[in-house]
Amino acid sequence: MNIQQNTMHTCPACGLLCDDISSEAVSSRQLSCGKAAAFYARVTTGVTPQVGGRAASLAEAVTAAANILKQSKAPLVAGSSTDVHGARALVGLSHRTHAGMTHLNASSTLRNMKVLQHKGWQTTTLTEVRNRADVILMIGTDVVSHNARFFERVVWVPEAMFTAPSARKIIYLGGDQLDTTPGISPEGVAPQVIDCATAQLPAVVSCLRALVMNKPLSAAAVAGVPIDQLRALAEILKAAKYATLVWVSKDLDYDHADLTIENITETVVALNQKSRAMGLSLGGSDGDTSVNYAHTWLNGVIIDAPAWESHDTVVWVNSYSPQAMPPAGTQPVIVLGAPDSTFDAAPAVFIPVATPGLDCAGQQFRVDGSVTLPLTAVKPADAPTLSQVIAMIEAELEGASA
Amino acid sequence: MITLLKNAKVIDPAHGKDGVKQDIYIRDGRIIAKPAESEKIGQVYDLNGKIVMAGAIDMHSHIGGGKVNIARMLLPEYQAMRQLEEPEAHICGANCSHLATPNTTDTGMRYIEMGYTAAFEPAVLAVNARQAHMEMGDTPMIDKGGYAMLGNDDYLLRLLSQNADQKTINDYVAWTLHATQTIGIKVVNPGGISAFKFNERRQDLDQQHAFYQITPRRILQALSRAVHDIGIAKPLHVHCNNLGVAGNFQTTLDTMGASDGLPMHLTHIQFHSYGTEGDKKFSSAAANIAEAINKNKHITADVGQILFGQTVTASGDNMMQHLNAKVANPKKSVIMDIECDAGCGVVPFKYRDENYVNALQWAIGLEVFLSVEDPWRVFLTTDHPNGAPFTSYPHLIRLLMDKTFRNDAFDKLNLDAQAMSNLKALNREYSLYEIATMTRAAPAKLIGLHDRGHLGVGAAADITVYTEQADKEAMFAKPDLVFKDGELVVKEGKVIKVVWGATHTAKPAFDLGVEKEIKQYFDRYHTMQMDHFKISNDHIAEDGRNHVINHTQG
Repeated sequence: MNIQQNTMHTCPACGLLCDDISSEAVSSRQLSCGKAAAFYARVTTGVTPQVGGRAASLAEAVTAAANILKQSKAPLVAGSSTDVHGARALVGLSHRTHAGMTHLNASSTLRNMKVLQHKGWQTTTLTEVRNRADVILMIGTDVVSHNARFFERVVWVPEAMFTAPSARKIIYLGGDQLDTTPGISPEGVAPQVIDCATAQLPAVVSCLRALVMNKPLSAAAVAGVPIDQLRALAEILKAAKYATLVWVSKDLDYDHADLTIENITETVVALNQKSRAMGLSLGGSDGDTSVNYAHTWLNGVIIDAPAWESHDTVVWVNSYSPQAMPPAGTQPVIVLGAPDSTFDAAPAVFIPVATPGLDCAGQQFRVDGSVTLPLTAVKPADAPTLSQVIAMIEAELEGASA
Repeated sequence: MITLLKNAKVIDPAHGKDGVKQDIYIRDGRIIAKPAESEKIGQVYDLNGKIVMAGAIDMHSHIGGGKVNIARMLLPEYQAMRQLEEPEAHICGANCSHLATPNTTDTGMRYIEMGYTAAFEPAVLAVNARQAHMEMGDTPMIDKGGYAMLGNDDYLLRLLSQNADQKTINDYVAWTLHATQTIGIKVVNPGGISAFKFNERRQDLDQQHAFYQITPRRILQALSRAVHDIGIAKPLHVHCNNLGVAGNFQTTLDTMGASDGLPMHLTHIQFHSYGTEGDKKFSSAAANIAEAINKNKHITADVGQILFGQTVTASGDNMMQHLNAKVANPKKSVIMDIECDAGCGVVPFKYRDENYVNALQWAIGLEVFLSVEDPWRVFLTTDHPNGAPFTSYPHLIRLLMDKTFRNDAFDKLNLDAQAMSNLKALNREYSLYEIATMTRAAPAKLIGLHDRGHLGVGAAADITVYTEQADKEAMFAKPDLVFKDGELVVKEGKVIKVVWGATHTAKPAFDLGVEKEIKQYFDRYHTMQMDHFKISNDHIAEDGRNHVINHTQG
């Protein structure tokens, strides 16, 4: 069997990894998703490395970066916005330099991970939802702010194996400034929206869990939401053939939000005693799932959140978010970054590296964690890959220790 | 350059050699015939009195893929820090995982230190194969491979429910092997993982699937026939229905008849050998199972021995793992439905010798080992990490080789469990030759690795050298020397050189026309393109560390 040349590209601009992007769509800029449009519009050619804000050769920049790392007692590899290959290289560099390692989404990733590590969960993936879900409950999120094509690719699809897609029941529970219009069915049925501010979700979600578990509740309302409305929601979930409870950890940005997530996932566990239901954590960007997963299989532990103050050097990688930088005042910073990186202040060293899925090939995990997709070089550029640059830095470090 | 291993005491069951004194010559990673006098010998190892076997092959060990990584994430309490020495320090961080959840580097290091040179991941979800290969690609020292899971994927169940012809099924199975870069096909709880998605909680061998109206037996018939027809060596790898259920031995016996006499491998059979006798309605049916294996020559099995201590179970069988989650220890679990393809269930377990069921499980596994007569048809596994971490193999080998040691351990078990087991009446002690058979020659033959698992001319020079000791646990825990593809990589039980191994696959010929229908299915129902589901050789090779070794033509 010949492995055929891929005719479609995978877009890594968000965690959904839509893999139906044709070259024609890229070149004619006919993309339905704003994130994809911005991603493929990036110009990443003709950028040279810099040392102290001045143009330098790649070799000079690598030497400068290695010299800084040699002086460093406690480096931190951060940003880590890359794909699996890049993550492997970063883990290797962290081993070599005894550096800590984190990701720019570590704090939101950790909200989920705390739940996984405390109680575990029961979750599903996009193709299951596409073919089975008859009820989709989105908690504190509209999803589309993060994953613009969620409804197009997963919900309002032309056909599904085990359910009628256009008859799906869509419910939004809480959240701030949600765009609920994508929840309107192709036949014009509006979604149910149960309003409450994100800050009120801890109380509302814990009541929903109690109702699903048939616990008695005496209050008439919680955080302005009538209990009867939540009771009706609980009954809808129990009666569903395959209820899917969706959250985006980034949208649950308040203290102890992991407890809300745990209440969502334990609601799923309770539903699964008698019927079928699953959780689905969406969002995902900057290769956060890929980097967390690769870090885990290489180190045996998940990515942790950074303690910036305990590090004296930062190696910053921002392949997918050229504007992202470490907190102000962090220095020295070695940026192994997108060629179109933007700086307020020049970093100590800047080495442009290719962005996987734009300038070079790669592999990336989708946000649901089970599917991994190949990335292609849609617009091959002249920048070296992150792995190549790290190999050069490691060679300099080796040379020093030899 | 030629390397000479002199005066080796060779145990090589593939060639019927049991302690034959012999010289072994190696060139370019292969065992060669004695060279001409004029040829220069570069290196000589005098192995006078040492036992020499081929590198061991673990034919069933969960070493890579989604469920394994979830297990690592799930259990941070197992982590510790450690001091590493070179060359391991060069590629590995300071986190030390529990032996049940080793990181990929630890996996390779701990295997090679025990003289194992290959391990096969038995539950590769087709849609998750890319991740499994990434993890196996990051596993140093050993060769790897996987068995792709079919039999709960909606595509196959649709084909069967539509009475598709066998040729279509054969082509789909062969296509899956190519697309996933695997060497065998596995079925887990046939039909059951799918049925769970339709809110069924059990699936018996002859029970109709709630949606597709087909039985697990039909799935086993179709898949075992397909595996046979496409001509790969590895028989269908079967995780039976009703895993862990008291009384499930009857399902297991019935399953042996489900392939119409075609070869079939029943995996972790210890978990499928339970009766319902006694006050606790849980008993050993190992005798029934062993008798049936002895009689049914088309059946092979690996044991999935449990050993006492903390571990985590990681399985595609989310239907049964969802039930097992009630007894998780620590009390947490992950259950997933995955892409209309499969599922997964990760549940921590702590097996205790004072617990009736655990103690009897331990005895049942050993009863099966000692009662199956032919070591070519029973394989040494703990179903890592489900029964115990693979690092407990030396201990397990001692239990099989040393009756006194075994009986002493038995005497410490839960007394009710002792009363329900005939283990002490089994006097068999495995010989070194039998151990070499079940850990080298037989798995290589079963999987179809013609150039592994033996020490004949042309074989890959994966070789393990032991000092014979009365304490077989000590002997097998720490070989003197291990050669991987002819290179000395372990000395006195310690890695001295890092190598990366290869990935073994089977790619039988098939009618590419089958892709037309598969692509339509992807386009109609999936959230990925069919072409992105397929893994190329380049994706496996990636940074040049790994490469594919194909064991079929076509």
